[in-house]
Amino acid sequence: MEVVMRCQCQIYGIALIGFLATSIIGHAQNIPRTAAGKPDLSGTYDIATLTPLERPEHFGNKAYLTEEEAAAVERQEFDRHLDRNAASNPNREAPPDGGDGSAGASGNVGGYNTFWIDRGSSPVLLDGQYPTSIIIDPLNGRQPPLTGKGQRRADERALLRRDNSGTAWWMIENGPDAPGPYDNPEIRPLAERCLLGFSSTGGPPMLPALYNNLKRIVQTDEYVMILVEMVHDARVVRIGQQHAPSEIRGWLGDSIGYWDGDTLVVDTTNFNDTPALRGATRDLHVIERFTRVDTDTLHYEFAVEDPNVWTAPWSGEYAWPASDDRVYEYACHEANYSFRGILGGARILEQDVRDGNISNREQ
Amino acid sequence: MYTQSRRFLGPVLCLITAGFLAVAASTSAPVIAHHAFGAEFDPNRPILLKGPIVKVEWVNPHTWIHVEVTADDGTKEVWMVEGGTPNTLLRRGLRRDYVQPGTVVVVDGYQSKDRTARANARDLTFEDGRKFFMGSSGTGAPYDNDRRQ
Repeated sequence: MEVVMRCQCQIYGIALIGFLATSIIGHAQNIPRTAAGKPDLSGTYDIATLTPLERPEHFGNKAYLTEEEAAAVERQEFDRHLDRNAASNPNREAPPDGGDGSAGASGNVGGYNTFWIDRGSSPVLLDGQYPTSIIIDPLNGRQPPLTGKGQRRADERALLRRDNSGTAWWMIENGPDAPGPYDNPEIRPLAERCLLGFSSTGGPPMLPALYNNLKRIVQTDEYVMILVEMVHDARVVRIGQQHAPSEIRGWLGDSIGYWDGDTLVVDTTNFNDTPALRGATRDLHVIERFTRVDTDTLHYEFAVEDPNVWTAPWSGEYAWPASDDRVYEYACHEANYSFRGILGGARILEQDVRDGNISNREQ
Repeated sequence: MYTQSRRFLGPVLCLITAGFLAVAASTSAPVIAHHAFGAEFDPNRPILLKGPIVKVEWVNPHTWIHVEVTADDGTKEVWMVEGGTPNTLLRRGLRRDYVQPGTVVVVDGYQSKDRTARANARDLTFEDGRKFFMGSSGTGAPYDNDRRQ
């Protein structure tokens, strides 16, 4: 086991030389510091941003937006919200039978008004420039190609994102005794079970999502705690410590940190089989760099490697602007009638199949 | 064709067939959420509800708004409609007491797969059609006005 771990560390160290060597943050003079003289990272940060993790392909290797392009992005988002929040016809009728055509997690039954979506109102502003993606390596701003295993895992996840037919399709397609996606609570997604934030909000690496983008950092000389608004994930980074034994694993992994000048470097391993980062495995290894560049901004950098999933390491960076907002309690299990409805609804749909009622439309 | 569904959905004021797709798609937002709405609600049971709010459960990440609906035959039933996270609204200065019992709302969405009196609030408006919540960035809400100054 030691041989394996040492080998992984060597590979990882080589792969991340570029990431560590290209850090551009120097020694900042006017930043808050602790009594021990270390940069004080404490505070609340709102990481919502219009900048995507991966660069849209049409940008190619264009790494930055012009100011005019950045302004256009803001305007487009502003106009989109105006459109979505325009009044509806009060005499409107019910939405369409069979679903409203929306995709994704809403499962063609539609999201609501945009009132709960908060992905920010501007792109990332970093060192006076507007990056076209959070990923900076590879140069195309996109994740490296998947390995064969990574592709298979991605294909498996894609199967779960199918249109909602309003039927027990798993019985119709695979037979009455075939396993289904709603057979028991344990096979439902971790976020649905209130166990882990989705979209890698808790990470690591910690990435923006459509809402609940606050991060709160509490710091002592020995620990740095990062509270994530989404699903109340809390990361505890042990400063100057060693990793836990490899058999001790968790969704957020095991994070240890050290100071590299004024930058806190956090090394995370010991993930379980389902880290928050999409598709990653228990061999995920993440290095993050937190640098407070001024009283209003934290510079966040990350490097990712998982040889089971990606054919090369990849890395990214973005700004964490300080916020006066407070993290509102994420009471996931309070008023959570959804989970009961999901499982109970599946039983009713299965009974429909047994009774020969293939869909409600045919009742 | 819809007789049985209409009878089951006694308080539902209207059921329509497909053909609304284009308009509906333009007013709904696919979202990545902590649970998939497709797992909870039934696309074959579209609903339209209208009535006064009787109760609000103001919990992050999901609000539940209880609406009393009167059917054509005069019977009343309280429906629960699921809304989004309240913390975004709080940060924009919209508090729980903004949602007053007695306020008449119009909700369209889809009934829960378990066929109880629950639905998602695909579109939730006052009875004059104004959006009930306008907390998102870029809406002219107080939060945005502050940020743009």
